[in-house]
Amino acid sequence: MTKRISALLGGTAIVALAGPAAAQELNALVWCDHTDEALIAPFEEEFGVTVNLREYEGTGAALALLEQSRPGDWDVLVIDGIDVFRVVEAGLMAPLPRDELPLDDFFPEIVMEENNAVDGTLYAVTEKFGYNTISYNSENVDPEDMQDLSTVWSDEYAGRISIYDYYLPVMGLAALSAGIDTAAMDAASLETIAPVLSQMRASAASVAGVVAAQTALATGEVDIVVGGGEWLTAVLSADQPELTWTIPDQGAVRWTQSIGVLADSENPDLALEFVKYIVSAEGQARLATSSCFWGMPANSAAGDILTEDQRAALRWDEQGDYLARTQLYPAPDADLDIEMQDLWLDTLQQ
Amino acid sequence: MMRAASWAYLILAYGFIYLPVMTLVLFSFQGSGLPVPPFDGPSLQWYGEVLGDRDVTDALIHSLTVSLGSSAIAVALGFCAAYGLARFILPGSALIRGLLIAPITVSYLIVGLGLLIVLTNAGLALSLLTVAIGHVVINLPLAFAIIYASMGAQQQNAERAARDLGAGELQVVTLVTVPMVAPAIAAAFFLSVTLSWDEFIIAFLLSRFDITLPVEIWSMLSSGLSPRLNAVGSVVFLVSVAGVLILELLVLRRRRA
Amino acid sequence: MTGARSGAAGWGFVAPALLWTLAFFIVPFVVMGAMSLATLDGRTLVWGLHPDNYVELATRAYLWRAIIVSLEITLTVTIVSVLLAYPLAAIIAFRVPPRWQRLALLLAILPFWTSYVVRSYAWLLVLAQEGIVNRALTGIGLLDDPVRLANTRFATVTGFVHFFVMLLTLTIYANLVQLSPNYRRAAMDLGANAFQTFRHVILPLTLPGIVTGAFLTFVLCIGDYVTPQILGGNTELTVPQVIMVQLGRRANFPLASALAIVLMGIVTLAYLGCARWLRLDRI
Repeated sequence: MTKRISALLGGTAIVALAGPAAAQELNALVWCDHTDEALIAPFEEEFGVTVNLREYEGTGAALALLEQSRPGDWDVLVIDGIDVFRVVEAGLMAPLPRDELPLDDFFPEIVMEENNAVDGTLYAVTEKFGYNTISYNSENVDPEDMQDLSTVWSDEYAGRISIYDYYLPVMGLAALSAGIDTAAMDAASLETIAPVLSQMRASAASVAGVVAAQTALATGEVDIVVGGGEWLTAVLSADQPELTWTIPDQGAVRWTQSIGVLADSENPDLALEFVKYIVSAEGQARLATSSCFWGMPANSAAGDILTEDQRAALRWDEQGDYLARTQLYPAPDADLDIEMQDLWLDTLQQ
Repeated sequence: MMRAASWAYLILAYGFIYLPVMTLVLFSFQGSGLPVPPFDGPSLQWYGEVLGDRDVTDALIHSLTVSLGSSAIAVALGFCAAYGLARFILPGSALIRGLLIAPITVSYLIVGLGLLIVLTNAGLALSLLTVAIGHVVINLPLAFAIIYASMGAQQQNAERAARDLGAGELQVVTLVTVPMVAPAIAAAFFLSVTLSWDEFIIAFLLSRFDITLPVEIWSMLSSGLSPRLNAVGSVVFLVSVAGVLILELLVLRRRRA
Repeated sequence: MTGARSGAAGWGFVAPALLWTLAFFIVPFVVMGAMSLATLDGRTLVWGLHPDNYVELATRAYLWRAIIVSLEITLTVTIVSVLLAYPLAAIIAFRVPPRWQRLALLLAILPFWTSYVVRSYAWLLVLAQEGIVNRALTGIGLLDDPVRLANTRFATVTGFVHFFVMLLTLTIYANLVQLSPNYRRAAMDLGANAFQTFRHVILPLTLPGIVTGAFLTFVLCIGDYVTPQILGGNTELTVPQVIMVQLGRRANFPLASALAIVLMGIVTLAYLGCARWLRLDRI
């Protein structure tokens, strides 16, 4: 009987492992936009390697995962731009050679030296950005109303709102509406924004992840998604052009993601090649229009490769205005981060 | 009156049970990119996309590997334990039975969380193997209970006769006991495969790069609304139902024979 | 048991399963218990005997509310599922001609084999604002405007009930057909009407089966993460959802462990509450 079992296991394992054995493997801890075959396959083919991808949800979890792992477990990390300093502080990142990266082609606001470098040493590079703002159905709400955050979640639209289920950008929006800069957020400002969040939650029909928010918007369940943006509605707008987004007068929150090589990588050269591929014009164009969510490429040279329609969907020509009017994600330290999460969960469960 | 009410209830109940499945299957043939009314199909494009997606087919193979492998181990362990407890006088056998059954009463999430803490602290990298370990934990109690319940005194005479004829313990077990409790073993194996095949949370917590189908579907779900999900769901449903029907026909035929 | 032998060979058969259960179930459980008494200093784990996590559970609103939310949902689901499944099982067992019963039962549990994750997603489509249900209700004029069904507790409960009605129909049916028809006949002969027969004969005889099924429903429901996460709209969080938030966003294993221990405690209480009818060795 045991023999038969091992034969069975062996048989299926062989099927599972079929295909040419790759010479090298690269292990990357990423967000879902990196799992698009159209993005990864060209790199795998060029270098004859396999890229293993694992998605994660929050920086806290990624840190725990990285600290528990053994040398060689991970080669590449994609992380929130504002959280780069946390992984650098933990000694997890390897320095990057500036001269091998096309930083000169980047949108200047997006290079983010103060986030990606420590004491002049570059540890990560921005790869993609976009906005957490207001997505809405232009047939059912007055676009004028969407220009003022306090009207967005006022009682007028109660029950027609979904809140994107990530505390940082939504609390950032709440802070902006209360006149607090996201960079200036501290424990005291949480007291100011608590009632704003509470009002937002009271008006909300749901608190939703990406797909739930899209479903709710596409099916008319709600008309507004707080925390939405191009990454939420770009996928839907082909079928439903009435679903759109705007940056209100108070501004909105800008998200950025950075990519870097881990200090414990056993394939540092290959890992650097991967980073270089991702920030190259071709890699950037593919990443910008990846199947999970769209977003602006950090490297402006990607604009030559993207089609007219793609640039329009990304609102390429309005980026100057948007960049000027938006602020980065709040970047709390560990203690404030926990306080923010507790406030967020208390608000959800109110 | 009663009779009519019964049939009405039956129809309503089946309607309720099939409502989500029918919706799922119908909108897997949706023409446009959103699986909500109005229906504008039929179109087979989503099936083409899904079946051509390496991630999905890989996940399918991983799921098969894990469910068959973990079920084989769970059933083997469960059978041995059932044999030992049914045929031997062991001190504390009630306690052992309780211990073996205990994981049934614990949520999968808790089993997964406990294993995650222990396995990662023990330095074992997460993989399909760790998923399989977790699935054996949840399936072993069921396999044991089902096989133990089928081990009555009626098989013991045959076992004793074999022993009198000079068969060793191993021969008795493999040549006499296993064939006699084969239906229970098959039932336990089938149930284990079903549960492992569809298990999500343990597979989610204990896997790294290679993921099983439910985890793949979950990550598709978190990356956007699409009739692709309907197509995957419909394919899984059809494959599973085909399996069930084949098994049902085989069992039925054997019973009639 | 007659003819049973004693001896070391018996241990040889039991040992593998026992060791497996000890290594991969009991040990993790003990470690999780110890973890629930540890604390986090920044991201560093500090082992010890700290009640901090349990204090936080009792005092922080979103944590203790999660326990109440979980209990409310689970109890509703268990009761509704039993009430819906019992008549269905009874109709299949007593009204459907015997030769069709197997098919009727199979049909009743076939959707069981849709992927669990997909099933919740399918309910999301069904209950959506422009979904089938709302279309039908507004179409026949029962409703003027579509009502919000998805992303509510109602949706979570519906998704759960759908799954457990199938499970319970199976277990209750198995119980009902085991009853000898003689019991019913005897009761009728003694002048009992259908309701009295049910109340005094069938119900008590099938109670162990019902309680066992209900207990399983309770255990599976209170520990489930997928259904409330997909259907509940996140406007209220259950214990498993809060556990996953602790794991996924913060890697706060101590607090997640404490929540898991509380979940275990609730299940144990439920077990003790219905232990006298439970037949877990005969599922």
